[in-house]
Amino acid sequence: MATDVPSALAVEQVHGQRRLPGEMGIWIFVFGDLAVFTLFFVLVAQANVQQNEVFQQSRRMLDFGHGLSNTLLLLTGSWLVALSVEKLRHGRGKQAARGLLLAILCGAGFVINKMVEWSDKIGAGITPATNDFFMLFFVFCAIHLFHVVIGLACLLIMRAKCTRPIGVADLRFIESGAIFWHLVDLLWILLFCLFYLI
Amino acid sequence: MSGVDRDALFGRTLRLCAWSGIASIIFFVIGGVILGRMIPPLLAPNDSADIMVQKISENVMSMRVGSVFQMISFALFAVYGAGIAAQTRRCERSPGFSYIQLMFTACGTLVALLVAFSWALMSFRPGEYEPTVIQYLADYAYFLAVYSVPVFGGWCLMIALPILMVPEAEAPFPRWVGYLNVWAAVLFAPGQMVLFFKSGPFSWNGIVALWLPFVAFFLWILVMCIMMLEAAKRHGN
Repeated sequence: MATDVPSALAVEQVHGQRRLPGEMGIWIFVFGDLAVFTLFFVLVAQANVQQNEVFQQSRRMLDFGHGLSNTLLLLTGSWLVALSVEKLRHGRGKQAARGLLLAILCGAGFVINKMVEWSDKIGAGITPATNDFFMLFFVFCAIHLFHVVIGLACLLIMRAKCTRPIGVADLRFIESGAIFWHLVDLLWILLFCLFYLI
Repeated sequence: MSGVDRDALFGRTLRLCAWSGIASIIFFVIGGVILGRMIPPLLAPNDSADIMVQKISENVMSMRVGSVFQMISFALFAVYGAGIAAQTRRCERSPGFSYIQLMFTACGTLVALLVAFSWALMSFRPGEYEPTVIQYLADYAYFLAVYSVPVFGGWCLMIALPILMVPEAEAPFPRWVGYLNVWAAVLFAPGQMVLFFKSGPFSWNGIVALWLPFVAFFLWILVMCIMMLEAAKRHGN
């Protein structure tokens, strides 16, 4: 058998109980991180009000195409991860591994796209020192990019686990990793709105 | 001595380490917050050297007394860190993570003690040193405190890994504490931005680079102390 359905999951399916996906700890991390990013968003909003003109001008200098394509890449990646976890729950390890590989490619695409966008900006003489908008833009995107890289490392481990028979602890890791990847996606959507859209 | 008694001794040791951590928070509030004016920061990275000397001269006595309390607070990190390592050691067949934790504890304690040294020297004779020396000491103190991310972040990760890697029943602390330590490491990370900014949220008096790591650090100590007290309860004390 390629993949076992973990016993805890089997019990859950028999009794129809709802179980917390992942584990409590990852949710503490997720809500903790959301709280910190809320602080970041407040800082952006505050600076936006104080220096409205600078922010409006600077926003027009961002390449909307890069922002939108990155959003689509992460949304697709999130969808693929969710699909893969569902496949895995039904014992389809190979399909799950394929889905995760595609999600990893989406994530890698995001990183490359971001690098291209930044080198364009820096090549045009726009740096974090240009003004407060670009200071916040570069720093918060960098912190988010750091999340993407950690998330990609998790996805790689998850994919490796999919190809072997999985136990309860493996499923817990895979679900927790998927939750983290959704967080990465969610944070980007909020950053995209704040920096590119408003 | 019977095995039960030895366990009771371990329980008491853990309580000592936990209370040392709590004492270090209290001493920091006295020495770093109320008297030392480290946070909320009295000084700013974009202050001129003369302004810094003036501010320090006006608060020289409270900063001196503050640095005495800071010294006590930071020295207690050693006891606190050793307690976590000792509890981690119990889940290891052969010690590894507990040793790495001890190395980070020692490094972290030393880095923190140097913050108190800088604070003491700033208030020692602010009128006699060249003003730029005073400015340097202020930068040095805050850089030691928040720029040393890999030391304190690494410490947290070395606590998190054994918790998350061993089977749940043998874990030294509840699993969510492992995630909490990873989160703490993430919160310290913005401290490294102080090198690139002299004003705004990412400079050494800013909300993201100073307040976030500092608040996270002392809350982390508090949570870990409570967890050590919980662990001590399980050891018959």
